[in-house]
Amino acid sequence: MSGFEVIHPGVLCSIQDAGRKGVNDIGLTQSGAMDELSFGYANMLLGNAFNTSVIEIALGGLVLRAKEAISIAITGADMSPSIGGRSIEMWQTHTLKKGEELSFGFASSGHFAYVGVVGGFDIPLQYGSASTSIKEGLGGMKGRKLQAGDRLQSFGVCLCETRKLHQKQVPYFSQEIRLDVLKGYQEHLFDKSAQETFFNSVYTYKGEGDRMGYRLSGEKVIPQVSGILSEPICYGAIQVPSHGEPIVLLKERQTIGGYPKIGSILGIDCFKLAQLKPGGRIRFNEVSLEEARNKVLAFHTFFRF
Amino acid sequence: MKRSYTIASETALIIYFGDRIEPLVSKEVQRAYKALKQANIEGFFELIPSYASLLIQYDILKYRFEQVRDMAEECIEKAPLLEHSEQKIVTIPSYYGREVGLDLELLCEEKNLSSDAIVSLHVKELYSVYAIGFAPGFAYMGEIDEALSTSRLASPRKVVPKGSVAIADRQTAIYPLQSPGGWKILGRTPMVMFDASYEGLSRLHVGDLVRFEPISKEAFLKMGGLL
Repeated sequence: MSGFEVIHPGVLCSIQDAGRKGVNDIGLTQSGAMDELSFGYANMLLGNAFNTSVIEIALGGLVLRAKEAISIAITGADMSPSIGGRSIEMWQTHTLKKGEELSFGFASSGHFAYVGVVGGFDIPLQYGSASTSIKEGLGGMKGRKLQAGDRLQSFGVCLCETRKLHQKQVPYFSQEIRLDVLKGYQEHLFDKSAQETFFNSVYTYKGEGDRMGYRLSGEKVIPQVSGILSEPICYGAIQVPSHGEPIVLLKERQTIGGYPKIGSILGIDCFKLAQLKPGGRIRFNEVSLEEARNKVLAFHTFFRF
Repeated sequence: MKRSYTIASETALIIYFGDRIEPLVSKEVQRAYKALKQANIEGFFELIPSYASLLIQYDILKYRFEQVRDMAEECIEKAPLLEHSEQKIVTIPSYYGREVGLDLELLCEEKNLSSDAIVSLHVKELYSVYAIGFAPGFAYMGEIDEALSTSRLASPRKVVPKGSVAIADRQTAIYPLQSPGGWKILGRTPMVMFDASYEGLSRLHVGDLVRFEPISKEAFLKMGGLL
């Protein structure tokens, strides 16, 4: 086996794959890569199956040393990666020599970056996934974030050629985003003026967020009740506590909750929110069920991971 | 109340069986959940039951909302009634001191009651477990006395300590792990609610009956409770 030794663990780095399926009924969270698109590209560049484990880097600061020669792919937020002190390009594969170090600075745009290797990391699956859920103590490296000295085992496969993502496929992580929203759940508990406020205002992400969800600041949208009978929550759901500021629930969300929800952000748009840096601005755009479906189908036709 | 089918997201549908905490409604949810789980329909990725609702997360490349609705409705219509099962009674020791009952003071003011009165209202009922969720091992229980009914915090806490005994509306629950949360906190239990060795990872299961037993600070600490 080959792989890496963690020299500097960075701020919050963890092993992630596509997350857990079919476990929400016992209260386990989905978990998985916060930016599914960049995650998918890392694996695609390496010829991996979509659901292959990678390292997710939040903010930056990670330094890894290769135990043997190994090929990697780097996608997501630009954290000025370098190999042996030479800066390298994102969105492509690279090959490290034995003993070389792969270092990351801090994100200039976006929040999450991904490092993939051929075949993924040798991490035992828990509830069908290698994804780390720190709160639950599951997956990844003993259910925790990476720490110095961790050995991340993988097959030391080197690719003969460099694979690059076409420039037009590379996502741009804007600080001004528009998210498509499908109304649902308790939309009826938000009156006309509350809905108008919600869809016509600009919200700001002030950094109050984590893998569970992002709280947004801006015009208040007050629901007609402060709580509902606790009910199941899906990916992208927008809950509004009585403080009137929306909270969008993401990969490590709770499975059940009792705040009213106006609807949900389309799953294919959630990565844009995940990649916002503090100060990022958000507008919500209402779409119909048919439009939402067409957008998702178009997305899946374009990105055949 | 008739079942109603509502959009949760572009890939999820939520079925409402009622809008209150009611044993009969809860049984209907469990009946539907078990039938759908057993049917093991391809492309139904998640089935999440709660008090009076059930969410189905589905493969959008395979199904439209209307198809999922019709398939679920057919499956639930045909579902057999649940067999009666013996209900287990679980006693949860709970310390209701001010240093762990983070919202006791707030509740005393809100209800114009002493903290002793609040605690006795909380411990006098035998509660039923209606749902497991939010986090693994988090059991939703009801109903607390009307006089104790309270709203959630306007702004959820970023950190609720593990073992916190809390209330919201007519519900009560225990936070099995440290997590964010918006329920009002009355006390703390030293009992472990979540463990990989428990069936479904949880000490409590839907249908269990639960009683809270007030304990002293000394007993709390002796049983491994952390302040």
